[in-house]
Amino acid sequence: MLSPERLSLPGPEYLAQRHVLTYMEDAVSQLLENREDISQYGIARFFTEYFNSVRQGTHVLFREFSFVQATPHNRASFLRTFWRCFRTVGKNGDLLTAQEYHCLLQLLCPDFPMELTQKAARIVLMDDAMDCLMSFSDFLFAFQIQFYYSEFLESVAAIYQDLLAGKSPNTVIVPTSSSGQHRQRQPPNDCSPLDGVETSLFYQCLESLCDRSKYSCPPSALVKEMLSSAQRLTFSGFLMALAKHQGINRALGALPDKGDLFLDPAMDQELEKLVAQVSGLSISAPASSSGDAANLPAHNLPRVSSPWKPLHHRRKMDAESEGSNEETDSSEN
Amino acid sequence: MAAYEKRRAAAAPAPAAGSGLGESARAGAAARGLGTEAEFLLQAGVTAMVREALLKVLEARPEEPVAFLADYFEKLVLSSPGAGGEAAAEPPGLPQRLARALWYVRLAHHSHRTAFNNNMGMAYECLSASGRRKRPGVDGRLYSELLRRICRPGAAPEDVVAALLRKIQCRDHEAVPFDVFRYGVLTCFVLLEFTAKAGTLYDVLDGGSGPADKRVCQAVLCTLEDALGASDFSVPIRYLEAGSKLGPDCLALAMDRALQERKLSVAMSREEFLKKATALFVAKVKPID
Repeated sequence: MLSPERLSLPGPEYLAQRHVLTYMEDAVSQLLENREDISQYGIARFFTEYFNSVRQGTHVLFREFSFVQATPHNRASFLRTFWRCFRTVGKNGDLLTAQEYHCLLQLLCPDFPMELTQKAARIVLMDDAMDCLMSFSDFLFAFQIQFYYSEFLESVAAIYQDLLAGKSPNTVIVPTSSSGQHRQRQPPNDCSPLDGVETSLFYQCLESLCDRSKYSCPPSALVKEMLSSAQRLTFSGFLMALAKHQGINRALGALPDKGDLFLDPAMDQELEKLVAQVSGLSISAPASSSGDAANLPAHNLPRVSSPWKPLHHRRKMDAESEGSNEETDSSEN
Repeated sequence: MAAYEKRRAAAAPAPAAGSGLGESARAGAAARGLGTEAEFLLQAGVTAMVREALLKVLEARPEEPVAFLADYFEKLVLSSPGAGGEAAAEPPGLPQRLARALWYVRLAHHSHRTAFNNNMGMAYECLSASGRRKRPGVDGRLYSELLRRICRPGAAPEDVVAALLRKIQCRDHEAVPFDVFRYGVLTCFVLLEFTAKAGTLYDVLDGGSGPADKRVCQAVLCTLEDALGASDFSVPIRYLEAGSKLGPDCLALAMDRALQERKLSVAMSREEFLKKATALFVAKVKPID
């Protein structure tokens, strides 16, 4: 991301590239909704809180889908939040269906579209048997690819279909002489009995897609490496390989490696503390969040500053009865 | 959930064109709502604050604008009157003013001359607003303290920083005019950048494997000194001259020659290289009188 060219970009382009206006506009509309409290609270302090929560990635909690998917940073924050909130599901080895994972997603983002969950499940389950059970990590990594690279994958699907149908994808302009050769070579592939498309041609199309795309794409070098082992590949094979590739996961930067997915000593400690607390209490939580000492904004920005803790203990019941959001704890996760 | 619904409703854009009567009435109400919202933003000073913040972002072009904005607004909270329950009339204490001035001068890179100069003005003002004295101003003590803080420990070799500060320091009780202030601060920033560049240069010289060869380092330093030395930089052509002396061919020749000398290969540490390179820079700094 270190890019000195930001210094020479025109102002509006720089702001758009870094999504500054997206956040500024959102901050102002949040401020308007809370305007009764602002007078005693201070506008500058409100903005400070807002941008700090964006920086920490806690700003997408309980927000509408259009905002959650608005920027790459928001998407990564959402993935991280999802992982942190529900990692116990994986730790306990529970297997859930797509529908159940969708309910978990909706606890964090109430209007999360089912379509995305289904697409992610399809990566794991290979089209059929959509009511099968999936492990948390399988679903999580497939979901990550589907959610974070959603626009990229849509374009790839179109390219794949074009290649499969034997036409050179009209979305792709490769200004080299080799593209002409490929076009000529294309028709015989058409009637090939093999599954999928030729990998090298597929990769060329992806590369030029990544060059042009204004949406996030996985790093081409990694995709190349990933594709180098096979002669031909199918779209679902491609998706699965993307989801399983550790390098791409690392480049995306939202989740830890697969092996470390359930390692989080600090969180475990906190959970234990919480279990101890909760076992002493009844389920009903204190109604006010004023217990958050030294955390002024908590009252005004509930969705930003209160991590969702109680879910860990009631994960499956919650999946059915969404919408109970008690706050119990002032510490951060 | 209810709060969420409310938020959604508020976030939804007002319908652009009503089809029926009821629809248009609702649109009207929404428009009025928007009107009062704009008024609110204007009256509460949100509009001005947002504009100011965006201008600062555009000036500084930070790599991470969100973090930059968080820090920016935090400073605004800290510096606003009444923050922390203090009486607004009392001017902020010396440490706060210094911290704030430091923040200002670091906001924009010095290559953004206009932005940098603006921020420099703000820092100067901020330091001189002591309130107790009738004629505010920045004295030598405050100025030196700011310079010391800009060259925070570790950013550049210590004795080189000391040598630089000796050259551009004023006496503690002297009033420091803005020109001198600007010159001093700018020089410190250039030194820091020079040090960083020299560090990168050393990384190249050592080839990523341990300490670099002393002969090669010496050759590079000599070429650098030669390029900088004995030239009067008020004449533009000198810049070209220096640039050509540091061109790859000249430098490569010098390094090659150095390697061919039959001397025992000794290493030069990074510290030593940085010290020597930065000393060359400091030697070229014009002292203030």
